Amino acid sequence: MAGRLLLRACTTTTTLQLRSSVVARPLHRAIATAKGVPTDEEQATGLERRALQALKHGKDPYSMLKPKEYAGTKEDPHIVPGIGPKRLVGCLCEEDNTAIVWFWLHEGDAQRCPSCGSHYQLVHHELPH
Amino acid sequence: MAHQAHAYHMVDPSPWPLTGAVAALLMTSGLAIWFHFHSTTLMGLGMALLLLTMYQWWRDIIREGTFQGHHTPPVQKGLRYGMILFITSEVFFFLGFFWAFYHSSLAPTPELGGCWPPTGITPLDPFEVPLLNTAVLLASGVTVTWAHHSIMEGERKQAIQSLALTILLGFYFTFLQAMEYYEAPFTIADGVYGATFFVATGFHGLHVIIGSTFLAICLLRQIQYHFTSEHHFGFEAAAWYWHFVDVVWLFLYISIYWWGS
Repeated sequence: MAGRLLLRACTTTTTLQLRSSVVARPLHRAIATAKGVPTDEEQATGLERRALQALKHGKDPYSMLKPKEYAGTKEDPHIVPGIGPKRLVGCLCEEDNTAIVWFWLHEGDAQRCPSCGSHYQLVHHELPH
Repeated sequence: MAHQAHAYHMVDPSPWPLTGAVAALLMTSGLAIWFHFHSTTLMGLGMALLLLTMYQWWRDIIREGTFQGHHTPPVQKGLRYGMILFITSEVFFFLGFFWAFYHSSLAPTPELGGCWPPTGITPLDPFEVPLLNTAVLLASGVTVTWAHHSIMEGERKQAIQSLALTILLGFYFTFLQAMEYYEAPFTIADGVYGATFFVATGFHGLHVIIGSTFLAICLLRQIQYHFTSEHHFGFEAAAWYWHFVDVVWLFLYISIYWWGS
């Protein structure tokens, strides 16, 4: 198994060397960077690519970063991104509280935490795909 | 395409954990069969199944990460935690053998002659092959760091050369150690000295072989353009493991080879 892998790797390298002796620049494989190691920009694929590209444009559709902090007042409610008509919110009313206050946040007007009263507003986002 | 609003990887069902567990069962029961009935068939079957499991499971991980893009930054972070925890568990594994060594060597019993090395044992000269082995592993630590920087800076040829050099140094260490084992004037059966020496250095040697294999896989992957200059965790994991192997050797050298002579 490993032997076949090694053979294939050697053949690829040898073929590349043979080709490069004929052509000035090796073919499709080494256009990555001039020095031969691809970058994420060139080679990342699938979910990783979508996540990295989104971050590059200042977006975070996969919630990888810490949520922004809001005052939680009527004028500056906590903005909660959601992909449907409602989302569960867990409110830590005060720092170091061990009891989390859970409630469903529905689309429409901002709701208040039943315990501490801070404001939460559901904002609709499209499901990333 | 799976639609998800999170960056984590919900892994598809896989048969390899089951085959791995079956392999473990066959190897352990096969070991008992070998001891009592002199047949290695069951154990051999278990080992074959283990090798197949490792090959296919890790091949699938490479497919999921490199070819399908499931290894987003949070997923990679989890893999990093995993490797660190695994290496930590290996540190504890070796800690046990160092404990055994120091237990016996700090207060040598009358049966040993009340001294360490015990009466009748001629220890290996720490300034001969063991010192060379130390230099070889330290050099390999330098070359693996060179390889890492080469990958990060996009230098393909240098990455391949330095990684290959690291593996060669690893093989050289294993070769030298094998020669030492062959030529040693004492065996594993020579009391607690032999036992602690060969079990500790033996497990270390096994880990050098495992580390060299891991690095060799990374070399093949680097040749096949799997790694990018930002994302190459498989290589980093192999480098961490290799540094761990190097550090264990340094402790072995200081404790068993040098102080223990």
